[in-house]
Amino acid sequence: MTLSVALGPDTQESTRTGTETTTDVLNAPDVPWNLVIWNDPVNLMSYVSYVFQSYFGYSESKANKHMLEVHKKGRSIIAHGSREQVERHAVAMHGFGLWATVEKSDGGKGGSGDGTGRGRGKRG
Amino acid sequence: MAARVVPATGLAGEGASVAKAFRNGLKGITGHLEPAERELLRGLLDDVISMLEPAEQANEDPLAALIGLDLNVTEPGDRALKRLLPNVMKDDGDASLEFRQLTERSLRETKIGALRAAALDLDRDELVLTEAGAGHWSMALNDVRLVLAERLDIQDEEDANHVHQMQDWSQAEDVESYLALVYNFTTWLQESLMQAMLETLERP
Repeated sequence: MTLSVALGPDTQESTRTGTETTTDVLNAPDVPWNLVIWNDPVNLMSYVSYVFQSYFGYSESKANKHMLEVHKKGRSIIAHGSREQVERHAVAMHGFGLWATVEKSDGGKGGSGDGTGRGRGKRG
Repeated sequence: MAARVVPATGLAGEGASVAKAFRNGLKGITGHLEPAERELLRGLLDDVISMLEPAEQANEDPLAALIGLDLNVTEPGDRALKRLLPNVMKDDGDASLEFRQLTERSLRETKIGALRAAALDLDRDELVLTEAGAGHWSMALNDVRLVLAERLDIQDEEDANHVHQMQDWSQAEDVESYLALVYNFTTWLQESLMQAMLETLERP
């Protein structure tokens, strides 16, 4: 994946304020991206758990914990990493048919403010 | 998410409630499907393959094609196709499109590969799946179910439960009830496969 310019030369740098740039630099080394899996009414619990175990190498209990979090809370942060890493995971998840997005980590709070309920997860 | 499916039924319906399409045994994961079930699956797999096959593009840059770059790609208008090829960012269409240009072609190829592999297996008399083959089957069945679910407008758990009520093939009176039965059949099939695949995972 060559999309990310998280730490590289940024052609839009001139349009940023100094504060934002500083924040980016401070956050960047702290693996600031999340891979989020969203709930949907189609994917089987067994399938989601299998994908979490086989792809991420998670234990059965860890995979099921994330799977149930997706099911009950509407979403779960399943992995962290650099932008390249989580984007690579996202493509793999899309290959499996799971509904995955990447997002910048919200200062370590997990960015969960968006996942207030499964109703928010409707496609549109 | 869809919970474990009970009761389990193949196309045969009554009397088949304890039947399993797939099981994990000495030979690996084996499957048993009736000719009518194979025929149905073949059609479904072909449908999803044709949805995913990108249109031939005139004047395409061969080098760009070679490395999987597609600058002409757009967000799918069809809901089912968008579910198969979703945006990578929730609230950033531009970044998602940029990502799509770099990745969608190979994602389509990955999916088509799994669907074709499953379709090829259907031509064999005996369904014995390698580990990779089982992976292809699980992905292919999942994509088929995602497409059927969009056609059935399954948007939440309530919709899913409603569709799940349709278990009796004698009830198939219109396209929607037929699709619901087909959806339930593929769900049962995938659940059976997942139980077999979960058994094969190494436990610490």
